[in-house]
Amino acid sequence: MSTKDQLGDIIDEGVSYEEVRGKLFLSLCIAASFFGIAMLVLLLWDVIATTHQAVFEFNVDPVHFLTQTSSRTAENAGFYSAIIGSLWLMVLVSVMAFFVGVGTAVYLEEYAPDNRWTRLFEANLANLAGVPSVVYGLLVLGVIVNGAGMGPILLAGALALALLIMPIIIVSSIEALRAVPDGVRQGSAAAGATRWQTIRNVVLPAAMPGIITGTILALARAIGETAPLIMVGALFITTRTPGPLDRFGAMPTEIYTWAAQPERQFIAMAGFGILILLGVLFTMQGIAVYIRRRYEVDFGE
Amino acid sequence: MSGKDNTGVSRRNFLAAAGAFGVVGLTGCLGGGGSITATGSNTVAPITQEAAESYQDTNDDALVDVSPEGTGAGFSEFCQGRSDIQSASRDITEDEIEDCAASDVEYSRYTVGLDGLAVVKNAENDWVDNITLDELQAIWEFEATDEVTQWSDVRDEWPDEEMSLHARDSASGTFDYFTANVVGERGDIRDDYSATSQTNEIMDAVASETHGFGWGGLGYAEAVIDDGQPLELVPVESDQDGDFYLPTEENVESGLYSPLARPLFFFVNHATLQESPDLIGSYVRHYINNQDSFADAAGFFAAPDEEQNANHDRFTEVLQDLGVEDEVSTEAEYY
Repeated sequence: MSTKDQLGDIIDEGVSYEEVRGKLFLSLCIAASFFGIAMLVLLLWDVIATTHQAVFEFNVDPVHFLTQTSSRTAENAGFYSAIIGSLWLMVLVSVMAFFVGVGTAVYLEEYAPDNRWTRLFEANLANLAGVPSVVYGLLVLGVIVNGAGMGPILLAGALALALLIMPIIIVSSIEALRAVPDGVRQGSAAAGATRWQTIRNVVLPAAMPGIITGTILALARAIGETAPLIMVGALFITTRTPGPLDRFGAMPTEIYTWAAQPERQFIAMAGFGILILLGVLFTMQGIAVYIRRRYEVDFGE
Repeated sequence: MSGKDNTGVSRRNFLAAAGAFGVVGLTGCLGGGGSITATGSNTVAPITQEAAESYQDTNDDALVDVSPEGTGAGFSEFCQGRSDIQSASRDITEDEIEDCAASDVEYSRYTVGLDGLAVVKNAENDWVDNITLDELQAIWEFEATDEVTQWSDVRDEWPDEEMSLHARDSASGTFDYFTANVVGERGDIRDDYSATSQTNEIMDAVASETHGFGWGGLGYAEAVIDDGQPLELVPVESDQDGDFYLPTEENVESGLYSPLARPLFFFVNHATLQESPDLIGSYVRHYINNQDSFADAAGFFAAPDEEQNANHDRFTEVLQDLGVEDEVSTEAEYY
């Protein structure tokens, strides 16, 4: 478009061409974001439709479903023991991962010198957060379940999940600690507080909403993991309610088994199970958002 | 769950967790007691689970833990002495025999039932009325990759349309059985079909595509057909008399639906059987006594009566060798 006789024409054409490109880009961005939403709606619709089928076509009684242990017979099978298995996992994982994770983050951010080794360590943590979950399952199977002879018990499954989310907790805790401005620390030190007093009374309380939010989101990831639990040795179906030292199954492993059965009722019940699991996940995400909104401290000024 | 409950649980839990680490550290071993560990095939797991639930109904303090890691992964646990019962959708391989021997694990094998491998097509497919074993081999062997892609490449009178092939992936015992017995060599398969670990996906895919074609466990095919979806079984040539047969109960149990009917097994670890003969021995007897109904309830076919009696004879012999025959409380029921 170089052979115009008037300068104005050239500029106008150029602008309108850029405007078209701009609009095209905007619509692509909108389409991209709608794609994600559309997929989520599709998933939810599918899960709800399957649950509807389970309840109305196969007459699965929701109360029975939520209060009975699982069974090979679809009519007798319930989700209760899997839910309890998942709750135990969640509690054990949070206990194991939280203290180690936050401790590591406090050391790295507050105490450790900022040298090449610390940076290498942090970079490795970020890489660890991206390791496929099944790898942690294999690690625990080899070292803890068989190596140390613990056996495929719930605690071993919790250990695999704790290892899986520990890097995520460390990284998000470091971010939360970093968001506390140095001025706050210096102010505390100027008032005569020791380093320990500063961390305990000033830095950690200020960073805690961020740390808790990161931990809950990491837990939400752990609770939906199937592969590491299968590697560790989850049961075919969870016929009794597990404690920490028992053989176990959890919501995702139960759903996985049911979805692979030939009986259509089991497949519909897997949909019902997914709905329960999604409910737990959304609740956890909601709590995380609430804590962030409610306790957020603004050091902006 | 309220905040208060939560702290209570996590404190108890913390103690339990700390205690568990202590116990593990001290003894280096957990479990035992009244529980039986059953590893192995996820195809056979439903039968073993039926047996487990039925056994637990009458023996309150017995626990049978069934885990479905797959035949191969299960054998690697079993051959290191970490499980009492191993379910398998194929026989033990040479490598696995060596593994077991290396760890001094002695075992015996029992046939629990028969599985029909169904060859399936879409209901709108009106040209495939039957299929020969040579044709199945021609479709699925490695050399078929990019060569045998249209129906007409298999049989001249079939249409010039692309086939859409679906089957199990190489991690499954079903895959091992099909490739060994139809293609001719275990693991020999074309590399351009849709491989999945979920038999349900095979059946759903073939039911939704006019040119879909595949194979998988009969129970899965029948569940989809009963559900009213457009899926049909294909009669397959028999290596017994050359006629074409559907995998009906009659054809499978009479042995005419061959080679696509396969035996399903479980293996018993002799060392742990000797340690707790009443627990494991009684469970095995109970399993064999009712194996027909367990197999049926899980969607499989009964093994011939002779197999069942042979199971009992073999198990009696094992118990005698181990010197624990009198400690098993469940009686053998012969047919």
